[in-house]
Order: sequence, then C-alpha cells, then structure tokens
Amino acid sequence: MIRAGYLPGIADDAVGWQTLSFDRGGPALEIAVPDLAAGQIGSLCGNVRQAARDRLKTLPVARIADIVDRAVARLLDRKDPYRQQMEELLPVVTGYDAEMVRLGLTEYLKTFRKPQLTRFLAEDFPNPSCLDGFQPLAKGGFARAHGPDCLLHVWAGNVPGLPLWSLVSGLLVKAGNIGKIPSAEPVFATLFARLLAEIEPDIADCFAVVWWKGGDAESEKSFLTQADTIIAYGGNESLAALRQNVPVTARFLAHGHKVSFGIVSKAALDTRKASETARKAAWDIVRYDQQGCYSPHMFFVERGGKVEPRNFARYVAGELAAFQHRFPNRALSIAEAGDVAAWRQAEEMKALGNAAAELMSDPDGAWSVVYDDSAGTLAPSGLNRTIRIAAIDRLDDAIPAIAPYKPFLQTVGVAAAPEDLFHISSRLGEAGVTRISAIGRMTAPEAGWHHDGRFSLLDLVTLTEIEQSAETAAENFAPYAD
Amino acid sequence: MTQDEIVRALLDFIAADDASDDAFNEMALALFAYQTAHNEPYRKFCRQRGKTARTVKRWQDIPAVPISAFKDLTLSCCDPDDAERVFMTSGTTQGGVRGKSYHPTLAVYDASMIANFQHRFMEETPRIRMGILFPDETAMPNSSLAHYLALAKEHFGTEDSHYLLTGDGIDQVRLLTELALAETSGEPYALLGASYSFVHLMDEMAALGESAALPDGSRILDTGGFKGQSRELEPDEFYNRLSSFFGVPRESCINMYGMTELSTQFYDWGNAACPSVKSGPHWIRTRAVNPLTGQDVPKGEIGVLAHCDLAHFNIVSTILTEDAGVEVDHGFLLLGRADGAEAQGCSMAVAEFLKAAGG
Repeated sequence: MIRAGYLPGIADDAVGWQTLSFDRGGPALEIAVPDLAAGQIGSLCGNVRQAARDRLKTLPVARIADIVDRAVARLLDRKDPYRQQMEELLPVVTGYDAEMVRLGLTEYLKTFRKPQLTRFLAEDFPNPSCLDGFQPLAKGGFARAHGPDCLLHVWAGNVPGLPLWSLVSGLLVKAGNIGKIPSAEPVFATLFARLLAEIEPDIADCFAVVWWKGGDAESEKSFLTQADTIIAYGGNESLAALRQNVPVTARFLAHGHKVSFGIVSKAALDTRKASETARKAAWDIVRYDQQGCYSPHMFFVERGGKVEPRNFARYVAGELAAFQHRFPNRALSIAEAGDVAAWRQAEEMKALGNAAAELMSDPDGAWSVVYDDSAGTLAPSGLNRTIRIAAIDRLDDAIPAIAPYKPFLQTVGVAAAPEDLFHISSRLGEAGVTRISAIGRMTAPEAGWHHDGRFSLLDLVTLTEIEQSAETAAENFAPYAD
Repeated sequence: MTQDEIVRALLDFIAADDASDDAFNEMALALFAYQTAHNEPYRKFCRQRGKTARTVKRWQDIPAVPISAFKDLTLSCCDPDDAERVFMTSGTTQGGVRGKSYHPTLAVYDASMIANFQHRFMEETPRIRMGILFPDETAMPNSSLAHYLALAKEHFGTEDSHYLLTGDGIDQVRLLTELALAETSGEPYALLGASYSFVHLMDEMAALGESAALPDGSRILDTGGFKGQSRELEPDEFYNRLSSFFGVPRESCINMYGMTELSTQFYDWGNAACPSVKSGPHWIRTRAVNPLTGQDVPKGEIGVLAHCDLAHFNIVSTILTEDAGVEVDHGFLLLGRADGAEAQGCSMAVAEFLKAAGG
C-alpha cells in the first residue's frame, strides 16, 4: 500500500498507520496515513524546529528559492518519476479528469519558478535580504525578518497542489514546517516534501508532512501547542474548533471557505466576444469542478449587449456540454450527487412556476445552468459544475446582491472595459472582494497574489528592529571612539 | 382512461395474486400517461426532464418526483377541492410547509393497505386484539398513518381493540391494563404505533418498573423512525428493548415503511436481524438510484430509494425519496436518511452559505 506523509527521524514501523480509501469510479486506491502518538508529535516538532534553526535559517533566501525552483523544475518534467506519480495518483484520489489534472499541475507549478518566487518575495519585502540579515530602514535603524521556528499548516480540500502556497511561503521565511495533509488529497504535499528532501538532503529535516483525523482533538492539541504560527484552511466550524486550542502566544492565520463569482458587462457581449466570454466562464466552472475558493458560484450579466443575459446563459450551457467531452466531471459519491440533485431539484421547482427562470441541464446531471431574470442576492451553486446566471441592468446592481456575504467574498472574474473595470473593482473592494481576475483566470491566481487579501510572507514573520538610538549609542563604545 | 377506469383497473391489479414485469410496466405507463394528461405541474416537470408519455417505454424511465416537490407543486389529477381526503406530511422541515397527497377516493389506498397488511402483518390470523399508540382519524384527519391504523383496527382488530393515546400522551393505566389482560387471557395481542411512541412508552414503563410477557402469537408494528420526537435508538437496541419489555420475540416485531407520498407500504419479515429486508406487494417497485442521474446504482451499492407505486394513481406514482437504501435479494435495506456530503473543497457549500446568510 502507498504510504503518505513525510516524517524525518521517525521510522515507518514506529508509527501507527490508518488507511484512507479512494474509489471515484475509476481504479480504487488505498493510502496509509501516519497517526502519530503524542510523544512522537512532540519529538517530531522539536526536531523540525531544531533542524530549521541549524540549517534553513543559515541559508540565504535566494538559495532557498533555488532549491524550490529545482524541485518545481523536476515536477514540470513529465518524465520525472515524482511528476509521473502525481499524474498517476492525483486523478485516482480526487476523481478529477486526468488531463485536467495534468494541465492544471503544469499551469500551477509554472508560478513557482525562480523568477516568480523572486516576485513573490518582492511583493511582501521591499528588500528581501531582510530575511538574511539586518537591512537599513528608511526611517532610520535596521530590521531583520524572522520566520517562525515551527509553522503548522492545516491544509484542506482536494484541489491538487494547494498546500504548495503555504509550504513555499514557510520555506522562504525559513520556518520549520509541519504540514497536515487533507484526507481528501494526501498525495501532493507528501511527494513534494520527499522530492525536496532528495534534492537538498541538507534541509531534509526542516519539514514534515503529517496527518491526523479531522476532529481528533488530542492530536490536534499536541500539534497546536508546538506551533508558533498556524495557517489553517477549512470551513468556519472546523477553524473555530481549531482556534480554541491555539496557544494565546501563537499567531493563527485562518483561511475559511470562500465565495467567488463573475461579472460580465455588456461590452463583453457582442456576438463575437460573447461566445469567447462564455467559453472562459465555463472553464472557470469546469476547473476542479468548482471546489476551489476562487471558483465561481454565479455570474451577473449586464443587459443591453448584443447577446442578452438569457442567451449568454445558453452559451455557457453549450460550452459546459462541450467541456464535458474533453474534461468529464469527476464521479460523485452518492452523498455528493444528493447535494447536487437537491440544488437542481430546488432550482427546477422555481423554474417550473416562473417563466423568468430557466434550468438548462445535462440529462445525467453532469452540469446545470440556472438562468434568473432578476439578480436577487448572491446564491450558492450546488458546486460540481452547477452555476446560476442572473441578469442585471447595470454592473453596480451586483453590489447589493453580494452585500450580505462580505466576510466570505474572494475572487471576482470581471469582463468589462477598463473604465468599468476600475469602477466596479473599487465597489467590489468595498464590499469585501480581495481578488479581481479576468474571466477564464479565476482558478489560476498569479504568482505572488495576496490570498484572501493578506500577505503570504509578511504575515508569517516577526521583525527585529535595531533602532537608531542603539546604533548611535554603539558608536560611543567602538574601539575607535575618541 | 378515465378516473373510474383507472380505479377499477387498479383494484383488479391489487386483487390479482401477482403481476408479471410486463403487466406492471403496462399499468405504470398507463398511469404515467394519465398523470401527465391530467396534472399540469407534473407534465411540465416531465417536459423539463425531456420525458413525455410518448417517449417513455419502461417504468424505470418515468421521471421520479422528489418528495420535496410535494411542497412546491399541486400534484393532483383531480381538482384538489374534489378530493375525498388530503394526506399531509408532518411539516417538520422547510419552515412548516407540508407536502400534500390528494385522494379523490380512498378505495385504492384502502384496498392496497388491506391486502398488504393482511399478507404481511396478520398472515394466517383473521383478527387480533390491538392497542394503537397513535391518535385516531378524528384527531388527525390529514395523517395517512392515522388512516392506516384506523383501517388496521377496523378490518383486523377485534372489537375490544383500543387507541391508547390521548391528548395528554400515552394512556398508561389503560395500556398496562390491556397488557395484563392479554397476559391472563393468553390471547395474542398487537401493539401498533409510531416508533418514537414506543420509545416514550418503554421509558415510562421502565420508570414504573413495568414489563409484560405477551402471549405467543403477539406482535408489534412500529413505523416512521424517531424523527426527533424521541431519542434515537440503534435498531438492534430498539428491537431488543421491545422484545424484553413486551415479551414479543424480535422476529414478531415488524417495521412498516410508508410515506404520505405513497399509497402502499413496505414491511419486513420481522427484525431478528437488522437492518431487515423490506419489500412491498406486486403493485409497487423500488429502485436504488443515483439521485442526480436517476440511474440504478449497481446492486449491493448504496443509492437513494425511488418507488413506483401504482396505487398512488391520482398524484404521481414514481417518487424519489430522501432515504438511502441498498437493493438486495427479495427487497431492499433501508439505511435511514440520505445525508449530504462533507465539503471536500474550499469553496462554500450550500448549507454553509445559508448559515452565513442567516448571520
């Protein structure tokens, strides 16, 4: 059986293993995940912390970026055994179409090459050398940024590769990293950690990939008490449960589940551009079956273009049908199918009594588009390629529709002319939106993006400042002082 | 076909010993044609699903109406105002909106209930003394279960059968007297009622230190599960307790599975082992389906139960439940309510979204 996890300094047979089963309609797979005892958790975290101090923190940040770059280069090479394992295992584990996973991996990994990592650093640090040593400050004095000794990542979700964002951030700030793999996708982080260790054995003890059963309060507590900083992903309920056990002195960075949507202005709806916009909108829906926080739940479409919103909805339906041939949706469990069916049934009922609404749907339920003549409020989709498309008279009409969801908003895909783009973006920003992308790029954030509007690296570090007074005073004590 | 012709055909169908696949299919398609012709919301629903009476050739392809639709749509071939009786769901979900089933006549419902109850609960016994743990029909005129139990009492209960539920709850004194009488007379006794009433009853008996050893041939019928009306018991615990409190062996404890959205009930052959295999008579058929595609799941795998009940002729015959189940030899296993999935991604799911909107 395949084993997941990466536990430097702990022998496999010293660990209890639990089995996760994956059966998504294709071949079934079992993966063993490590279930550490409290004592093992303590010593693992201690070792990682110590190794990070001894090794990672002595490397210049440019060197660390080099190491990550080399690992990512290996993963971009389709002949590389690690890449091949990912291509083999990720579709089986997640159920996503193999070709979609392959394309997604490449597109995603490209954003972690050396130039992008450098940009990533520059986004947060005017002078990234402050991670290596004291650097002069404009106000006077010097500052140096220190990453945490023990950074705990609690990853969630089944979108392949998501753990890479925070893990790379942790490495760049020279933290000791402990990452908890999600039960829905234990493969990516495991393989990345092993590859990193193979490429640079010197830092092989500076990170670990672990697992515990969601809701296992005892293990959770053991890990949380070891961490200086915690980055956690998940629903608000599980984040609230986690936060209860976070030591007061630790920093807790939570990324809750999010809602994203799109806005299409009439400028994007002339006969030629409308089908292109619809294809891109459909792509945002199809990518990872809307499981990402940046995946759209809804599109608001402005009236008055050559193509009216209802027809745009039909275009999107047509594109979803076409994508179904190229990238079929993943097989759903009966429970997931039940959720999608419940959403579709509810929409079906609304459409039956109402000529202003329309349900367009694949007979086998692979995708559904609901058209609604009135914007109403932002409403959730049933996920797994289900989308609501609502007509609005003016772009600004989307703003009241999203107002109730301020803390949950993330990405908005916008298709509009420059003036409109900046106008609506400023209103969206006030409403709580943190990322605006092109339609078709909603699920592919650019390198160095500010996830949920936060600083990926800056949020992790603590500054040590040498104030000018200390520097001036030091002059008095210099051997050359007069 | 007219309504009268349908009713006559169904009464004959029910009265027959069995039905071939072809005969069932033919009747189901005739009903589908009747329902789409006389019931506009259902016709629209089917059209939206791309199905019409002309294109559907197998009963399995008749679009199944999700039971939640009974709350949104008026599903009736007759004018709802002309219905002899309207059965309503308890309205515990969806803000108290109740799903309705309109019956222009109860002739078919009653024939279905009587033939099936005799075969599955009474077996060789013509009549039995009954104690009923449920309100009567006057108290609950829109409850299909109240009507069902009234039929049971009228057609299969001895004259001294009683309702044991008053407005204040279980009539404890009456009940204990009934049990004691049964014990001394040696005549078999039957207790029938909602599953949760049995839980309350046994709790009260436990508090009083009471139990009974009902004579051989006694039996128990429970139905409906616990529905948040009592604490939840695992099936094994529930039937063990029934057996020890009333002295009725588990194989004589029958569970009936019925719904307001049906005119026919399912039974098991006792609950010596749980989950028990449920099955219905020849005028109802059940499939375990993927709720999204409507296709059968492979035999032995969990699906959502869809029933085609010919007796539910005025409303819709084919419904999609919210119950998870598995098809097995000679019937199906009922596995409780089909639960939603835990969110796998980091996008918000509907339930979470609604919670967020609610504050």
